[in-house]
Amino acid sequence: MSGEDRFVLCMLAPALAILGLLVAYPVGLLVFDSFFKVDTITPHIREWVGLKNYIDALTSKRVAESALRTIQYSVFALFFEFTFGFCAALLFSALPGRSRWHRTVFTLPLMVPPIVAGLLWRFLLVGNIGIFNYGLVYLGIITDPDAIAWLSDEDIVIYSVSFADIWLTTSFVALVSYAGLTNIPKDLLEAARIDGANALKRFWHVTLPLMRPVIAVIVIVRAVDAAKTFDLIWIQTQGGPNHASEVFSMNIYQRMVRFGDLGEASASGTLFLIVMMLLAAAAYWKIWRPAHA
Amino acid sequence: MRRARRFNINGILVNAAALVLVLSYALPYVYLLMTSIKPAADVQQIPPSFLPAVVSLDNFREVLQSSALPKAFASSLAVAVLTTVLSLAVAVPAAYVATQYRRRITTLFLLFALVTRMVPSVSLGVPLFQLLKSLGLLDTIPGLVLAHTSAAVPLALLLMSAFFEGVPKELEEAARMDGCTRFQAFRKIILPVMIGGIAVTALFTFITSWNEFLYALLLTSEATKTAPIVIAEYNSVYGLAWGAMTAAAVLYSLPVIVVTLALQRQIVGGLTFGAVKG
Repeated sequence: MSGEDRFVLCMLAPALAILGLLVAYPVGLLVFDSFFKVDTITPHIREWVGLKNYIDALTSKRVAESALRTIQYSVFALFFEFTFGFCAALLFSALPGRSRWHRTVFTLPLMVPPIVAGLLWRFLLVGNIGIFNYGLVYLGIITDPDAIAWLSDEDIVIYSVSFADIWLTTSFVALVSYAGLTNIPKDLLEAARIDGANALKRFWHVTLPLMRPVIAVIVIVRAVDAAKTFDLIWIQTQGGPNHASEVFSMNIYQRMVRFGDLGEASASGTLFLIVMMLLAAAAYWKIWRPAHA
Repeated sequence: MRRARRFNINGILVNAAALVLVLSYALPYVYLLMTSIKPAADVQQIPPSFLPAVVSLDNFREVLQSSALPKAFASSLAVAVLTTVLSLAVAVPAAYVATQYRRRITTLFLLFALVTRMVPSVSLGVPLFQLLKSLGLLDTIPGLVLAHTSAAVPLALLLMSAFFEGVPKELEEAARMDGCTRFQAFRKIILPVMIGGIAVTALFTFITSWNEFLYALLLTSEATKTAPIVIAEYNSVYGLAWGAMTAAAVLYSLPVIVVTLALQRQIVGGLTFGAVKG
């Protein structure tokens, strides 16, 4: 081994050790436990059950519903975050004065702890004293402040809890998109303009294709984060009413903590992990690669 | 003439739209601030009012006089500082060799860090609970620091790698010509140059740990509850104490926001750097 190799290894070793101990080993433990019946409430129960935990998880109605809700939540949140954030970025880059001040204010939600965003939105939406509905009455959208029970109506709660997510992360989309937009060469847009392309055509044929890798990164990062969401929803509804806002991560938490069923929680956790990896890999191949080809 | 006027109207429209957008974005947080300085009874009045009729610091007094919240802030601070120090200590050297000494192991290593970012924390939380239990570290500061480090190291690695990409290889070579060993070159030449990037990474690591909720919920109970856990408990333990809760939420989030706004340019640079370069 050369001196150079030794240097590389020495510098890498502490990080390798930490990631090995705190990520690789726990993931191994997770997969291992998923084949056992483990009870954390009455200790010392640990028996091999093969794939039973997986079969139970995949056939459970509550698990399937929580998985579906995770998709509803993620798609809804991602759609609005992306639309609002991207429009904000286009608006900022169209501003004559470099939009520094606007972007400064826009950074604010980025640093608000999720738990505070969740509490805040719960306070805005909660029945009787929630100011959000009074705002809608003021704007003439609804007539009665009790007309929409955002957080207690089982049919809409999974969408209502995503408002906090949308508020919190539109900034991320906006700032990353803005950075991408400023990287587009001005003369390219100018050339298209001289060739007679109108604003819409310039956007569709120049801006959008060049933004493709940036959009891919935003969609991957945000989709994975939205699907993992726990704290924002937990603080607003704890998964209620009647499990109507229980997403997949919360379902795993409940099984682990409330029911002490480590084996089934591990099986669901493993499935979750695999789906996230596949999702990220698929997104990478489908969206990101073509831009490089 | 006609063109110039049209441009002006467009400019005004764009400005107005941007202003409305930014204000509506800031509004919820401003409402939180306004609510926290209302007298406790006014917080729950029907219909609610945006501005306080009387300014009162009762809510702040209440949460600061309780024993739970100041103690939780101390725990949060200790965990966040230790997580930041530990994560940077291992991630900065690794990110350096991963970007400057490309070979199969370093590429694999960065890929592994990237994949780690996709792991849902609930999946990792379940086995971490067992790991810490077997080490006797449940409900201790070091235990929570380890859990937060598992998320902070990949983040710090990716951020620092983006910063090290910009460092020319010649910098180390020049130092080596002058008689430095590789370690000396890293410590005396590279690190001082990278201090800005390290500061941004440290801030991000700190905020990630400071804001973290799920691991704290799973892995602590009485002795080392962090601030978000105690704030969340205002829900159940004290009924719906919205006044106290808004005051605690302001105390918890405002310092981070102020620091962020002060360092806004560097932070946005650090945040968008990796994504756009990707």
